[in-house]
Amino acid sequence: MTVVSDSLSRPALPQRRRGQATRPGLESERWHGYLFIAPAFIFLCAVIVVPLVKAFWTSLERTRGLNTIFVGFDNYARVLESEAFWNSLRVSLSFTALCVAMHVAIGLGLAMLLNRVVHARAVLRVAFLTPWMVAPAIGSTVWLWLLEPQFGVVNYLFSAVGLIDSYKAWLGEPSLAFGSIVAVDVWRGVPFVMLLLLAGLQTIPVEQYEAAGIDGASPLQQFRYITLPNLKYFIVVASTLDIINTIRMFDIIAVMTGGGPIGATEVLPALLYNTAFRANHFGEAAAIGVLLLILVLAFSVLYVGLTRTHAQEGSR
Amino acid sequence: MKSTRSTLLSGIAGGLALMGAAGATAQTADKPIVLQWQTANLTEKQFEPVWKEMVAAFEAANPGIKIEPVLVARKDHWTKFVTASQARRAPCLVSVDLTTAAYNGYLMALDSYWNAEPEAWRKAWSDEVMKAARWQGKLYGVPIWGGIYAEIYNKDLVTAAGLDPAKPPVSWADYMTWAKALTKDGQWATAILGGKTDTTTRVLLTWIYSNGGEVFNADMTEATFAKNPKSLEAIKAYLGMAKDGFAAPAPTTTNYLEQTVMFAQNKIATMRNANWAIAKAEEDNPALKGKLIVAPAPHQIPNAPTLKTMTSTSIAADCPNPEAAWKFIKFEADAKWSIKRAKVANWMPIRSDLANEPEIKSDPMLLTFLKIGENAKPYPLPLPIWADIAAGDIVDAVQKALLAPDTVETVFKDLDAKINRKLKDQ
Amino acid sequence: MTRVTLTPADILRWALILAALAVTLFPFYWMVNTSLKPGPEVFQSPPTFFSANWSFDAYRVVFETRPIGRYLLNSLIVSVGATALSVVLSALAAYGFTRFFVRGAAAFVLFLLFTKMLPETLLIIPYFQIMASLGLVDTYLALILAYSSFALPFSVWMLIGFFRTIPRDIDEAAIIDGASRLQTFFKVILPLARPGLVAVALFTFIIAWNSYVWALVLTTDANMFVVSVGIANLVGEYRVQWNELMAASVIAALPVMILYGFLNRHLVSAITAGAVKA
Repeated sequence: MTVVSDSLSRPALPQRRRGQATRPGLESERWHGYLFIAPAFIFLCAVIVVPLVKAFWTSLERTRGLNTIFVGFDNYARVLESEAFWNSLRVSLSFTALCVAMHVAIGLGLAMLLNRVVHARAVLRVAFLTPWMVAPAIGSTVWLWLLEPQFGVVNYLFSAVGLIDSYKAWLGEPSLAFGSIVAVDVWRGVPFVMLLLLAGLQTIPVEQYEAAGIDGASPLQQFRYITLPNLKYFIVVASTLDIINTIRMFDIIAVMTGGGPIGATEVLPALLYNTAFRANHFGEAAAIGVLLLILVLAFSVLYVGLTRTHAQEGSR
Repeated sequence: MKSTRSTLLSGIAGGLALMGAAGATAQTADKPIVLQWQTANLTEKQFEPVWKEMVAAFEAANPGIKIEPVLVARKDHWTKFVTASQARRAPCLVSVDLTTAAYNGYLMALDSYWNAEPEAWRKAWSDEVMKAARWQGKLYGVPIWGGIYAEIYNKDLVTAAGLDPAKPPVSWADYMTWAKALTKDGQWATAILGGKTDTTTRVLLTWIYSNGGEVFNADMTEATFAKNPKSLEAIKAYLGMAKDGFAAPAPTTTNYLEQTVMFAQNKIATMRNANWAIAKAEEDNPALKGKLIVAPAPHQIPNAPTLKTMTSTSIAADCPNPEAAWKFIKFEADAKWSIKRAKVANWMPIRSDLANEPEIKSDPMLLTFLKIGENAKPYPLPLPIWADIAAGDIVDAVQKALLAPDTVETVFKDLDAKINRKLKDQ
Repeated sequence: MTRVTLTPADILRWALILAALAVTLFPFYWMVNTSLKPGPEVFQSPPTFFSANWSFDAYRVVFETRPIGRYLLNSLIVSVGATALSVVLSALAAYGFTRFFVRGAAAFVLFLLFTKMLPETLLIIPYFQIMASLGLVDTYLALILAYSSFALPFSVWMLIGFFRTIPRDIDEAAIIDGASRLQTFFKVILPLARPGLVAVALFTFIIAWNSYVWALVLTTDANMFVVSVGIANLVGEYRVQWNELMAASVIAALPVMILYGFLNRHLVSAITAGAVKA
C-alpha cells in the first residue's frame, strides 16, 4: 500500500476566497482555470472513480467467482452481523489511536530536540527520515527477521540486557503481536510527523521564548504556553491526516502477521483482503471496503472542517 | 458507459503512447500460440532446472506452441490468479486449489479431452487420485505431482538421546517417550505448526488420521473436528505436546519454513513433514546428509492413512487454446518428467505406474515415501470453502487452543459449528 | 568560529537524539549486516554483529539468479513515467487553482482527499479489468497510470502551497508584456516553482518505486517485473535465505535512498513552505 505517499499529506487547501475576492483575474479568461484543472480531474475520474463505481456495484452483488447475483444491501447486512467485522473495527480503531498518538508524541519530542540542534541538522534529518523512505513491504520484512523468535536479534538483545527473561514469540501471542505491529508502525510513521512538526516549530518566533525566559518561565511553562498553542494547528492537521493513512495501513500486517494470531491484528484492510482473496467473497469484501471508506470519510470531513476553521481564523 | 470509460482512458493512453510502446511491443506479433503457465512452485529454486528443461523440450516438440511461465511468490499465487480470472484473462495452464477454483467457475471441465485418451494412459492414475480431481462429477485437472507426509528424525540427535534410530516410534506412547528423551536445554523434540498458512492444517490432519479420526462426515456436509471423538483425542494429544514442553516455543508463528529451519539448525529432533523437507534440511545444513530417518507417522490404529497433497494442472475457463494446453498437460504428466521432478525437486510422482521405474527403485528415500504414501488421504479436501477454512478458521482454532490449552474442546466445537455454517452458506 | 560549549541540557539532548537515531537505524544496520553474512552464520546464536567472514556472496547470488538489472530498469521506467505524468498534471491543476477563480474548488479538493483514502484492495480487481480490456496488462503504461493517480492528490496540494508563494504580479507583468497564459505558465511560473516541482517529483518517484500490489497483479511477463515484485519472488514457501533476501532488500532500497540523499533539501523545503503558507 502506498502509505509512504499518503503520510506526506499536509495542509495546503486552497483558500480561494481570500485571494480571489481582491484579485478576480481577467474577466475574459476566468474559464481558463477549468482548462488547467481539467486534465487532472479527468485523469482521476478515469483511473480511480470508474474502478470505484465498479467496486461499489460489486458490493451489491453476491459473488461466487464468475457467478454473480444482485442482492442489494445484503452484503452489508452480513458484514455488520459478523463477529469478524466488529473485531476488525475494534482492532483498527485501537491500532489507529495508539499509532497516531505515538507518532505525534514521539514526533513532537524529536522535533523539539532537533529544533535546537545547530550542527549536523541536514544529516540528522536525512537519517531520521529513512524508515519512511523504504517500501513498507521491505521494512516489514526486515522487522520480521529482527523479531524471529529463535534467531532474531531483538530477543537476543532484550534478554542480554535483562528486559525479558525468556525468548518471546513477538508475533505469536495476540497482545504481543498487536504491540509489535504498533511498534513497527511507530518506527515507520514517526519521521514524517516529526518533519511536519519541525516545520511548525520553525514558525514560532524565537522572541517569544526569549521574552518568556526573561519573565522567568520554566521550560515546561514555555512548552505549555508558547509551543503548544503555536503548534496547535500543525498537530491537528498532522494527526488527522495520519489517522486517514494509518486506518488504511495494510502492508505491515500483510507481511508480518496476515491478521493473526486469532484476529488480533486483523485491521479492516486485512479483513477486506482476506474476505476477497481467501474466502473469495468479493461482494462482502467490497462492502467492507465501502464501510471503511465511510469511516475514513468521516475523519476527512473532520479534517476539512478543522482546516476551514483555521483558514477563517487566519484571514481575520 | 463502457465506451465512455474506454475513450477517456485511451485518450490518456494516447498521450503516453511513447511510454507504453516499449511494453506493448513485447506482446504484439505473436504467431505461435502462447500459453501462460502459472503454478506457485515455479519460483521454488529446486524446481527451476526441471521446469526449464521441460518447457524447452515441449517447445521443441511442438513448434507452434510457446510456454510463458508466470512467476509469482507463493503467498500471492491465488490473488494473482483470481484477479486475472475475474477479467477472464487467467493463464491457460494453472495449478490452483482445484475445488475452490472449479466452484468459482475459473476452470474448464476436461472430461472430453480425458475420455479421448487411450485407456492404458488413463489407467496410470488410481481411481482415488482421479476422484480428488473431480468436482460435481466433472474433471477439472490432471494430477501431476504430490507430497507425502511422514515423520522425519535427525539421527544424530536420536542417538545422542540414547534412543535406537533403527526402531522409530510406532505408537503415540512410543513417540511421547522419545519426545521426553529428545527435549533438553535449547532443544525440543518437535515443532507444532500453528502459523497462518494451511501447513498448520496439514500437520493437524496427519495426527487426526493417525488415530482413525475424520474431520468431516461421509458426505462432507458436517465438520467433525470435535464431534468425532478420535479426532478430538488426536488434537488434544498433538497440541498437548506444547503444554508438556516437548514442542519448540512460538508455535503460533511456526509454519513449514520455521519448522525446517529449526530442524536444520538442530533445534528440533523430529518433524512431521513431506518429502521435499529432506532436500531443504540438507541444503540448509549439509552436515545432515545421510543422517535423516524417515518413518510413518506414529499411529494408534493399524495401517493408519497419512496425508498426500495433490497438485493438478488445470485449464482456465476462458482459455482460447485448450487443445494446445491439453498437449502440455499430457507432456507434463509423462513418466520422464515425473521421475525428474521426484529426483531433482522432490515432488512425488502421483501416477501409480512409476514405482517400478529403475530410477525410483534405486532411491531408498523415494521408495520409503512412496511406500508410506500407499495408504494416504488426498489433500486438499474437495470442498469449495476448503482453502478458506484450511488457512483461516482451522488455523485460528489451533492458535486459540495453543494459547489457552484448557479450552481445546470448546474451541474445536466452535470450529465445527463455524464450518457447518459456512457449508450451509455456500 | 564560535567556541562550542556544551551545557548539561545539550548533553541530554544529544543523548536522546542519538538514542532515537539508534532505534531508527538499527533495522537498516541489521539488514546490511545479515546480507553480508555467509549462509550458516545467519542462524548462529548468539548472532554476530559484524561477520568476520563477510562477503558479497549473497548479492552475487541475487544478481546471478534473477535479472535484477532488468527489474531495476523497469522500476526506473515506470517511476520516471509516473513522475512525469503526475508533475505535469498537478502543476497545471495547481496553477489553475491559484490563478483563477474556480467555482467548486473546495469540492475538488474534497475529491482529491477522497481519492487518496480509498482502500487499495477495493480497486485492484476493477482496475485490472479495465486495463485488461484495453490490452494494457504487461505494459509500463498501466503501472504509470496507477502510480501517478496515487501521487496526484498530494502533489496538487503541495504545489498549490508552492504556487501561492509566487506573487501573481509576476503573471500579470508577463501577460502585459504580451505572453499568453500558457507561455506565462511554462516560461515564467514553472521555473520559479522548481523546488516545489522537484519535491513533487521525488515524492511520486518514491511511491512508484515502492509500490507492490499493483505491479504484482498488472505484470505477468517476467521481463516486465519491477524490482519489488522480482524480490517478492525470492521468498518461496519452501526456501528463504535471509542473507539473500536482505541483500535484495538493500538493492531495492538503495536507489531511493541515494536520490533522497541528493534531493532531500527540496522535499523538506517544499513541505515546510507548504505547511507554513497554508
